[in-house]
Amino acid sequence: MFSDTRDFMDALRASGDLHEIEKEVHWDLELGAISRLACEKDGPALWFKRITDYPPEITVFSNPMATWRRVAVTFGLAPDSSVKEIYAEYEKREGKLIPPLTVQTGPCKDVVKLGKEIDLFDLPAPMLHDGDGGRYLGTWDMAVSYDPETQWVNWGMYRFMVYGSRHLTGFPRPTSHLGKVFQEHYVAKSKPMPMALVIGADPISHFTAAATYHIGGDEAALAGGLRGAPVELVRCETSELLVPANSEIIIECEVLPDCVGLEGPYGEYPGYRTGEMGNGILCRVAAMTHRKNPILTVDATGYRDDSSTITALTGAIAIKHRLERHGIPVLDVNVPREGAVHMAVISVNYGGEQVARAILETLTSRRALISKILLVEPDIDVYDMGQVLHAFSTKCHPAHGIYVVHYEGRANTLTPCYSQGERAMQKGASVLYDCTWPGEWSREWEVPVKATFETIFPEAVREKILSEWKNYGFKE
Amino acid sequence: MASKSEQGVWETFVRRPGDLKEGVETPMVLRDLRPGRKKYQMRHVIAMVTRQTPETTGSDELRIRTVVGVLLPESYAINILRDLPMELPGIPYHDFYQALKRAAAESPG
Repeated sequence: MFSDTRDFMDALRASGDLHEIEKEVHWDLELGAISRLACEKDGPALWFKRITDYPPEITVFSNPMATWRRVAVTFGLAPDSSVKEIYAEYEKREGKLIPPLTVQTGPCKDVVKLGKEIDLFDLPAPMLHDGDGGRYLGTWDMAVSYDPETQWVNWGMYRFMVYGSRHLTGFPRPTSHLGKVFQEHYVAKSKPMPMALVIGADPISHFTAAATYHIGGDEAALAGGLRGAPVELVRCETSELLVPANSEIIIECEVLPDCVGLEGPYGEYPGYRTGEMGNGILCRVAAMTHRKNPILTVDATGYRDDSSTITALTGAIAIKHRLERHGIPVLDVNVPREGAVHMAVISVNYGGEQVARAILETLTSRRALISKILLVEPDIDVYDMGQVLHAFSTKCHPAHGIYVVHYEGRANTLTPCYSQGERAMQKGASVLYDCTWPGEWSREWEVPVKATFETIFPEAVREKILSEWKNYGFKE
Repeated sequence: MASKSEQGVWETFVRRPGDLKEGVETPMVLRDLRPGRKKYQMRHVIAMVTRQTPETTGSDELRIRTVVGVLLPESYAINILRDLPMELPGIPYHDFYQALKRAAAESPG
């Protein structure tokens, strides 16, 4: 399993999933535009070797896991593994936790800068999209923070923008784990919150930081379990926080409980820049440490970015487990890549109003990131969007099969269809489309018979057709 | 009059069409568009803006972006009067622009 970003890049090179760009590329839009187009073309991860205004020792690696091939490589699977196989591998491994190991030092301490030595502009943080609020240093990152009451350490992937030489602004949503801990335990007591922004850790640690994982969960142990080996952690220079020792860059900060800065707008994972601006948090940087020849890791956020694979995958498994815990007859869940972590396809043994309402309640009670749910029966493969669209188009009753729940204070403020007013109040709604047959319909007399080869012919006829297929002149 | 190359070029973001007032002292956040490593560094200031072109006034140029990041076609002349603190007092997750106004009101004129 990969111990750092560099091992991972070697593996991607070997599988044909890394493209190295020797030509000089400007950090101001050019790098972002190339990386964005690569995402939209399902292209390889990119390693930019020469960045305008910066020495050749500092390079940029973008879009680490923006395709299923690269997620498969991350897990040591064959690159052409199916989405279903990758989901299954994650689900198999996520139950096993391996606690991290603390080590005395590591490569992330090769260069240590404190106080006035620090200048965030020494790093080639890209202006990713034209019109973003600033240069985003934290995109493929991992923010490490700490709950002083429960001692819980949170790893989360949140966006952070360079504000000045020693200041960052960020937007971990107020409903996020970091946002919740910061408001409840630091802002309320007017105490600055120590935070470490980790850039370029091993790929599974970033995967874990981006994962949908329960509050209070030990993400470092989850990363160890997923890797099959403990993550080695080293203490920060200016706080007690522990960070992966093999990381490329560590920015140690204090999140200020009584100060603000402009944050955003920013072209985000839903594939839009929604105007979420000016409601973030301000961080004062206390230390910056990095490896020799550091590699800045970047997620060129937008349509089909890294979240479209990894946040979707972990979100789907988290939804499945949550529904199981609430007694809902769930069989499988897919958060399809093109749904920008806003849509879930859920297959159940049976649907109907009671199940629909229970699913909506369960998935929106604390925070509501998914706003569109398609409920299907076991005959639908949730990973086959053709089958899903067919079920939605034909089985969802336009008047009786649609269930909506409204909420305030927990909506996803990045959801593009919400107005600026709704965004400000975190007000929104989720809808469930019930694509299952009504339970009271008789299977013999009322449920329509599906007109597919598998379902509308007797078994003997199907067997004969399949065994004789080539004799009819077909090649395949 | 300053030459074009010496003039500063700044950009700011506004929430609503009427938020930028001409001819009055206005607290605002600017980002510096001068090329180089420090491009896009932020600055909190009190400034006066007018819809004149920089060529006619010799002032720095201000470009405006909307809340969704769209660059507006008209540019303004800006006269930066004084700076406000980088660490602007305010409540995290609450409106930055309100914090900017409060800081300006408390700033010695």
